[in-house]
Amino acid sequence: MSLLRKRSLPSERLAFNFLLFLVGALFCVLALRLWFLQVYKGDYYLQKAQDNLQRRQHIYAPRGLFLDRDGSLLAVNEPSYSLALVREDAPDIERTLKQISKWTGMPLEELSKEFGRGRRMVRSFENQILVSNLCFDVLARVETDAPYWPGVKVVVQPRRKYLQGEVLSHVLGYVAQANEQELAADPDLRLGDNVGKQGLEFAMEKTLRGRKGLKQLEVDASGRILREHTLVQPESGQDLYLSIDLDLQTYIFSVMQGKTGAVVVMDADSGQVLAMVSTPGYDNNKFVYGITGTQWTNLIENPHHPLRNRSIQNAYPPGSVFKPLMAALALEQPSIRAEEQIFCSGSYRLGNRVFRCWQGHGRVDMNRALVESCDTYFYQLGEKLGVDRISTFSLESGLGRQTGISLPFERSGLIPTREWKRQRFNDAWRGGDNLNLAIGQGFTQVTPLQMTRLTAAIANGGNLYRPSLLLDEKKLDPQPLPWKKETLEFIYQAMLDTVEKERGTARRLRTKDVQVGGKTGTAQVVRLMPEHKEDDPEAVEYWLRHHAWMISFAVNEDKRIAVTALVEHGGSGSSAAGPVIRDVYDFIFSGKQESPQAAIQDD
Amino acid sequence: MIDRQLILHMNWAMLALVVLLFAIGVLNLYSASAYRIGEGTTLTPFYNKQLVWGLVGAAAMGLVMLFDYRHLKLAAWYVYAVALILLVCVHFWGTSIYGAQRWLSFGFFSFQPSEMVKISALILTAYILSRIEHPLNFNDLGKIFVIAIIPVLLVIKQPDLGSGLMILFLIGGIVLYHGIDKKLSKVLLVLVPLHLPLGWFFLHDYQKTRLLSFLDPTQDPLGSGYHLIQSQIAVGSGGFWGKGFMEGTQSQLRFLPEKHTDFAFSVFGEEWGFAGAIILLLLFCVFLYQILSVSQEAKDRFGSLICVGVFFYFFWQVLVNMGMVLGLLPVVGIPLPFISYGGTSAMVNFIMVGLVLNISMRRYMFKS
Repeated sequence: MSLLRKRSLPSERLAFNFLLFLVGALFCVLALRLWFLQVYKGDYYLQKAQDNLQRRQHIYAPRGLFLDRDGSLLAVNEPSYSLALVREDAPDIERTLKQISKWTGMPLEELSKEFGRGRRMVRSFENQILVSNLCFDVLARVETDAPYWPGVKVVVQPRRKYLQGEVLSHVLGYVAQANEQELAADPDLRLGDNVGKQGLEFAMEKTLRGRKGLKQLEVDASGRILREHTLVQPESGQDLYLSIDLDLQTYIFSVMQGKTGAVVVMDADSGQVLAMVSTPGYDNNKFVYGITGTQWTNLIENPHHPLRNRSIQNAYPPGSVFKPLMAALALEQPSIRAEEQIFCSGSYRLGNRVFRCWQGHGRVDMNRALVESCDTYFYQLGEKLGVDRISTFSLESGLGRQTGISLPFERSGLIPTREWKRQRFNDAWRGGDNLNLAIGQGFTQVTPLQMTRLTAAIANGGNLYRPSLLLDEKKLDPQPLPWKKETLEFIYQAMLDTVEKERGTARRLRTKDVQVGGKTGTAQVVRLMPEHKEDDPEAVEYWLRHHAWMISFAVNEDKRIAVTALVEHGGSGSSAAGPVIRDVYDFIFSGKQESPQAAIQDD
Repeated sequence: MIDRQLILHMNWAMLALVVLLFAIGVLNLYSASAYRIGEGTTLTPFYNKQLVWGLVGAAAMGLVMLFDYRHLKLAAWYVYAVALILLVCVHFWGTSIYGAQRWLSFGFFSFQPSEMVKISALILTAYILSRIEHPLNFNDLGKIFVIAIIPVLLVIKQPDLGSGLMILFLIGGIVLYHGIDKKLSKVLLVLVPLHLPLGWFFLHDYQKTRLLSFLDPTQDPLGSGYHLIQSQIAVGSGGFWGKGFMEGTQSQLRFLPEKHTDFAFSVFGEEWGFAGAIILLLLFCVFLYQILSVSQEAKDRFGSLICVGVFFYFFWQVLVNMGMVLGLLPVVGIPLPFISYGGTSAMVNFIMVGLVLNISMRRYMFKS
């Protein structure tokens, strides 16, 4: 066999062993790595592989609708198309953004900013909505080109639509895209979601929103969807029936056109608000579409503040509509009798100050003082009763504090006290303050809704209801008005007389077959110069004119309602606010809702 | 020429192993060529093309086994020269695919001279070294170096860095196996590490990004790091038992790139799991061991050195490909023998095996 033995070098024999070692090492290293990847980290990579092919996507839940008390639609949802980006699918973000800018006409810097702002808030492989509310020609363009742009998606979202726009803008409020604080505070919200920002949309957000569903998509490497199944069904939000009567609301809104002010109509027996109008209104649909800078500036800089719900978010000096409350307080005192007469010469002297009445009434008792709105009578009541009793009584009667209606940002108004004046002005409460307080001037501020609630309580026998806007809102037990029965009856009668009597200031409210009571109010904005005493509205510059108030109730066999009208800078309550309520009663009791044409056809 | 002795001494074990590896490869390609569309799957015909190439390769292997390998000594220089000429021709008349000019088209088939050069350089080196019986000194190494560097540079120029380095490592392997003298080894120990960083400047940009993304694949997960990340996810998600044949989501849903060529082993790892992958790895190691055994049994040093060359040819490919698939090495376009799709590569693999079988069955032959 030695012949067969080849001559190999000693180094080659060594090398052979080394090569054997190499093979062993190769096996060991690769086997270890395989074990590490597949066994030790197997679950981790399995999850990664699942993440690759499974995408989770939310299914939008339709927001609950708003309907009026008769079921007419007020706010609905319509489909809207948004452009979204899945950044993990887009090979070149920069180029894709450029293309999106080309499609939509949105400047690239703005898009990049939006992208950078949102990317922290969107999970991997989730849609990040970049441009909302695509119009149809942009949508068509994107839909055609999107297959060539991996990662670009068109997402259908429900979008809010307010059918009546500004007629109900203050009641419904609006939804708009959630901002960063809202997103951070609510884990259910995703970038691009709409949330309620104002009005009932804000207050009832949780009820209206519903719960998003979840679906699982199986996709391939190019993001094409191969299979999908629903993991969680979406739960649509709850529909809400409002106590609002849409026809009435619309009608009042049309009556109030050109005026700045508020009208509240309340069912006196339940506290349900039948109409709540604040003018000027605003188109709340604009917020859903994403309000532009100029639109926003216009709204904010409008001196009439269209965004403000004047029935709860503005407080005004009540003027003479405060007088029924003063009279009631007086009647609660054993020392004061309604029949007692005082003499009104047209002014009242306190110390060396003279307080004017709007005319010389002669001898007046309490009933006449209310019916003809004699200031002098109430000056002397104010002097007798004093701030402490007046403010306590006012607060207990529901003025100067929130009514608890389910709307956000309600103002409480103000009922002044000694303590308040000391803190606010570092000044003592003076006798003259009592007199101003007694006729609803000075520091006192109330909202139209507070006055309506009080009027309703006078009409329903002394129950202060929490005003409600929703038909099925949980009723709280009404608070009793701290008035004696006789007091209540007296005030009720006096307000009826204000309408019925020849010299009553609210006589224009007389309505056939309906018991109507009322009280006018003319609240001074600034102390007027003597030459304007005659109160000719046209002679005074708009912003200096009085606010016109009228509170009123109407009672017939079917219903008891309370109506308040406030017209800012309208002049006198009787001539500016009165006609508004007159129209409301005509509408409610004579069925004036028929258009003139329809009436002619009936003939 | 064929006598009973040769059939008797045929290395059946190695032949069976190679057939097994190739069969696994075709089976795996069958799965890798499928991808899901909706609820169904479609097949692209990679696997049957590979089957055809395998048959052609087996025929070539048979042909290589027919003659006594010692005749190759006479032809070594000529084959080498022809391969070089063809390589030069590629530069002028070659066909470009994916931006690399590697193919010579002869109408009915195209062919890569770079693969032929691997074989011819191997044989020539083995021939030269078999005549040197002392550890290599500076002159010897210089001669080998020149023989090696000409084809290497030509191949790298195509550009085909993978094949170029493969030739270099293959020849380097044989040289180190043969041994170098002490003085030379000291010089090389100092010089080679010093010159490695220079290589950076010869790399193409895409090769640089591949290297960089290997160091940190997460830096650009959709770009250059994508292959590495997705491959590891595929293999790792296979777990111990794998997802089952045709069930790999990474490959079926095309998250895995190049799944039938360079990343075929990822598909295998995903579908057959640790159990399957370790067995495949073991088969390769047994195969490598068999080649080494033949090198020890070979009748002369020429045969022995050829076997060592073939050993390195397969060793480097398994190491680099599996290393890449498992995320241990950067992405280099080196296929896994018998498993990755590729006609020319299958041909060369079979011819290489043919050489080893040739040497193995003639291990008892007397000098004729």
